Amino acid sequence: MDAPLGLVAVVPVRDGVLPAGGLEALGECHGVGVLVGTDLEGALPDSHGVATRLFLAPTDSCAPRVLADAAAAVLRSHAPRLSAVVPASPDGRDLAPLLARRLDRALFAGATEVSAQRVRIARQGGLAIAQFDVHSPFVATLQPGVRGVESRASVAPDIIHVAQSSGVTAAVTSERVLPPDVSTMDLAEAPRIIGGGAGLDGAERFARLGEVSRALDASMGVTRVITDRGWVSHERQIGTTGVVVDPRLYISFGISGAVQHTSGLGQPDHIISVNTDAHCPMMQMSDLAIVADANDVLEALASRLSSEAQRGVA
Amino acid sequence: MNVTDADVIVVGAGPAGSCAAIELARAGRRVILVERGPFPGSKNMYGGVVYPRVLDQLIPSWWETAPVQRWVTRRSTMVLAETGALTIDYRNPSWGAPPYNGATAYRPDFDNWLAQHAVDAGATLVTSTTVTGLLRDERGRVSGVRTDRPDGDLTASVVIACDGVNSFLAKEAGLYPHTDPANFTLGVKETLALPKSVIDERFNVRDDQGVDIEILGGTSGVNGGGFVYTNLDTVSLGAVLKLPKLAAQKKRPEEIIAGLKSHPAIAPLIEGAEVKEYSAHVIPEAGLSMMPTMVADGLLVAGDAAALCLAAGIWLEGVNFALASGMYAGQAAHEALARGDVSARTLGIYTERLNSTFVLRDHKKLRKIPGLVLSDRVQQKYPAFVTGVVERVFRVENPSPKPGLRRIVKEERKKAGIGRRDLMKDGWTGLRGFG
Amino acid sequence: MTIAVCSKWVTPVGRADDRFAGVSPADQAALESALVWGERTGEDVMVVTAGPIGAERALRDALACGASRAIRLDVDPSAPTIDVARAVAPLVASASLVWCGDYSLDRGSGSFPAFLADVLGVEQALGLIGLDLTAASLGAVRRLDGGRREILSIVPRAVVSVEGSVARLRRAPLRALLATEKLPIEVHHGSVDGEDVALVPYRPRARVLPAPAGSSALDRVRVLTDAGGAPARTETVTLAPDAAADRILTALREWGYLA
Ligand SMILES: Cc1cc2nc3c(=O)[nH]c(=O)nc-3n(C[C@H](O)[C@H](O)[C@H](O)COP(=O)(O)OP(=O)(O)OC[C@H]3O[C@@H](n4cnc5c(N)ncnc54)[C@H](O)[C@@H]3O)c2cc1C
Ligand SMILES: Cc1cc2nc3c(=O)[nH]c(=O)nc-3n(C[C@H](O)[C@H](O)[C@H](O)COP(=O)(O)OP(=O)(O)OC[C@H]3O[C@@H](n4cnc5c(N)ncnc54)[C@H](O)[C@@H]3O)c2cc1C
Ligand SMILES: Nc1ncnc2c1ncn2[C@@H]1O[C@H](COP(=O)(O)O)[C@@H](O)[C@H]1O
Repeated sequence: MDAPLGLVAVVPVRDGVLPAGGLEALGECHGVGVLVGTDLEGALPDSHGVATRLFLAPTDSCAPRVLADAAAAVLRSHAPRLSAVVPASPDGRDLAPLLARRLDRALFAGATEVSAQRVRIARQGGLAIAQFDVHSPFVATLQPGVRGVESRASVAPDIIHVAQSSGVTAAVTSERVLPPDVSTMDLAEAPRIIGGGAGLDGAERFARLGEVSRALDASMGVTRVITDRGWVSHERQIGTTGVVVDPRLYISFGISGAVQHTSGLGQPDHIISVNTDAHCPMMQMSDLAIVADANDVLEALASRLSSEAQRGVA
Repeated sequence: MNVTDADVIVVGAGPAGSCAAIELARAGRRVILVERGPFPGSKNMYGGVVYPRVLDQLIPSWWETAPVQRWVTRRSTMVLAETGALTIDYRNPSWGAPPYNGATAYRPDFDNWLAQHAVDAGATLVTSTTVTGLLRDERGRVSGVRTDRPDGDLTASVVIACDGVNSFLAKEAGLYPHTDPANFTLGVKETLALPKSVIDERFNVRDDQGVDIEILGGTSGVNGGGFVYTNLDTVSLGAVLKLPKLAAQKKRPEEIIAGLKSHPAIAPLIEGAEVKEYSAHVIPEAGLSMMPTMVADGLLVAGDAAALCLAAGIWLEGVNFALASGMYAGQAAHEALARGDVSARTLGIYTERLNSTFVLRDHKKLRKIPGLVLSDRVQQKYPAFVTGVVERVFRVENPSPKPGLRRIVKEERKKAGIGRRDLMKDGWTGLRGFG
Repeated sequence: MTIAVCSKWVTPVGRADDRFAGVSPADQAALESALVWGERTGEDVMVVTAGPIGAERALRDALACGASRAIRLDVDPSAPTIDVARAVAPLVASASLVWCGDYSLDRGSGSFPAFLADVLGVEQALGLIGLDLTAASLGAVRRLDGGRREILSIVPRAVVSVEGSVARLRRAPLRALLATEKLPIEVHHGSVDGEDVALVPYRPRARVLPAPAGSSALDRVRVLTDAGGAPARTETVTLAPDAAADRILTALREWGYLA
């Protein structure tokens, strides 16, 4: 196709599901994109209103190399002069470098804004932007969430079918995919998080914190002080050096709200904090700040929730 | 003598520990300097002024490389009452030139710089490693340390404990007779950010000139004292507070800092400043009266670990005592090793040296001062009294004639509820103490 | 065969000072996993870092932790990631498995491991959040988006990258630490040109529409820039434990989190 030198989205589809940031990548490319992966048709309805023109390049697996080979083939034959924008989702991040190598193009990873001539990339933990002016086709990954998507009237895009491609993997084999499940769903995606900090006085408190979290079907997060103490495993650490989360509800017990913690906290709709220090940052950024001993409050809350559970409430 | 991991193990890479290590490494001893922080000084806090004169011996023209914020060219002592304030101000621009007198510096910079001298001299620095106990030989002499790392025992002929206030090692060695909370003060400090130009203007200094202000009163009735020091683009403001009083008054240190910051004499200095950091740390305060035995078979104790810190409300000198005692401990260990005898008796060289130098002389001379300065009378009554007198002297009440100073003093003394005897007694103690 | 670990020396933002520099938790987790896997398979562990001399501190620590070889590749790590990967590749070409962190703290592109795998012509398993180091073949859980996970089985040769949560690096034994203290580090030289791009302060771009809830990376990034704004008004109350618990539950009902 002879489109003007511009952008084309490359969106990896896994079992009919668009990846995080998939629609944004399409939006950034004025609706022109390539879907690669499995059960592409399943993902089409979600693309309506954003996608205008889609190349469907089905594959028999979602192995990064297979996806990259398929995408590279489409771009070579159909869009040799277009720069590729890939969502920086797990699958996208993994395929983009391989795609760049196959097309012998530069890769701009983690972009916040992409145009045919200019790419802006967040550096230094998002504190700074690196700006690149580019003159030849490239591959970029676009950070999910930075752009948003226009929702036009739900129109179906033009579809161009490309032959199914397949590939075998020898070393890394995908056994199966687990669906989301609140109990195993890690912090990063949790809509409700209950956090515990140094104000809680012992390892066993965090077992209790876990119970309370489950009762409120929230995930448990902690501060580095706690993971440093080995009371809770590192994966539960919220913050700049831990997991960056984005819950709607955050309840903190005995957390001071050090910037390294709060900067990983996203922007919850509601925050409740229990702390003996009414003036610490965590309390100040809370909707409801309760001055009390976090340990006692936690126990009181636990007993209420368990009794409510017995009464089948909650 | 059986093979050890080192001749000497120094615990703690603060001012004391690093000086000990420098001395020993330079003397050709195998030294291991063990520090619990990720790097020397990383976790260490203090008010902010060092008087490193004693470094002249150890690091000639140290001022050329030392990571200094500002050179203290102005020292003030403030007496704060409810609203009034009396300031005794001394300036000496020559303190802003070699060989200098005092300087403000950040501990993570200063301690790290000092430790580097030990490393350069050949000492082995081990960081992120906490000493958890002493090793002893069959005869009960200290023979090394245990650390929190796997395979973490280290043997040595001498261990020098420079692990700071509340020295866990000195205690384990049974060198502290008793530890009475009354002997400690709590130091709390805020680091307040201000543009350099603003600091220069408000404190009336320029370039790398700095100010050291000690404060009596203004600590919300809790016995202690305050301080304000200027760094390049921050101001250190803090208080040193008697622990028992703090407990009795049920006040949070933060409240007292807030009170100090809002005093009419202080507020203008720090107006609009942003709090960058809040920290607190215990200080050994009672001077001589609480010092432990500093020597045992195979063990020396230096710096805050030996309570060699002069903290009397308006004084806060510890680093210089730490530097010196560390240095002397290093020398003593070296000489004892040379004599092939590291028993307490031989290591006693250390205490002799402390006794013959400012380290213990200052402490002896000033031994009554902490008690005096922190006494209820001085703390609760004198600020009102002194400022009251000055206020009366300066107030103009025409047409009525100015009252005589004698009368003012008498009246203000009565008003402040200070007995004539007490006043004379305190004056005498003060004179003897400083004189 | 040997196992390789690629570990990056990073200095935290705003603190361009080796005192605060170090290795990311992810890279530490990679080293620990490699050591455990090596103990299982009897392979040696080699640690490689492309970076400045300061990085040798981390390499020594790795040796003290049980790595048997450490190489510093003296190139500018700010070079385009593909170039760094090309430079590192020959050093790890013979490795059965190459362990990396999922993304570095400074560059944070997460693309080095994929580039390395492609240059080496081996497969990749990236962004692992769980490992089974006991089975004959390496079992792993990979993070997908939306809370989904992929279960993988991995047999050499491959490049894997792990998140910081999969393992905590052991503490180096003191004696080993002392032994490596003054050890010279094997340095190789390569030539890649560091990229110097002008950095400008981050300003969130105008969004077409709020991003779909849950995937709001922007909010995360923005929070990093201004550490979370305080809500219009905070309700501060001092309560006894029981009253506090009740107050929390009431709030959760008000806000519709509880029936
Ligand atoms: C480079 C770097 C990266 C970091 N990354 C992270 C990170 O990713 N995540 C992270 O969390 N931290 C991180 N930190 C550490 C961070 O700076 C703080 O030290 C940490 O978040 C503090 O955790 P905390 O609030 O549990 O402990 P503290 O700061 O000690 O706070 C304890 C709180 O509990 C309150 N409290 C005490 N007793 C009680 C009681 N009985 N009842 C109720 N409240 C009580 C106190 O008032 C205080 O507010 C990082 C630090 C650095 C230097
Ligand atoms: C608020 C405040 C203000 C002060 N202001 C001043 C001032 O303005 N000027 C002044 O001269 N002095 C001041 N001081 C006193 C001064 O800080 C101390 O006297 C001085 O730091 C003592 O030095 P040191 O080396 O003996 O101990 P420290 O400086 O405390 O060093 C002890 C070192 O040992 C390490 N350590 C401790 N335990 C272990 C262990 N088990 N294993 C391994 N390492 C360990 C610590 O990490 C630390 O690095 C102030 C003190 C406070 C609290
Ligand atoms: N200069 C480097 N030297 C060694 N390993 C590196 C280097 N840069 C990146 N890596 C590895 O690649 C991972 C991801 O880094 P990045 O692609 O920069 O996000 C890191 O966690 C390291 O394991």
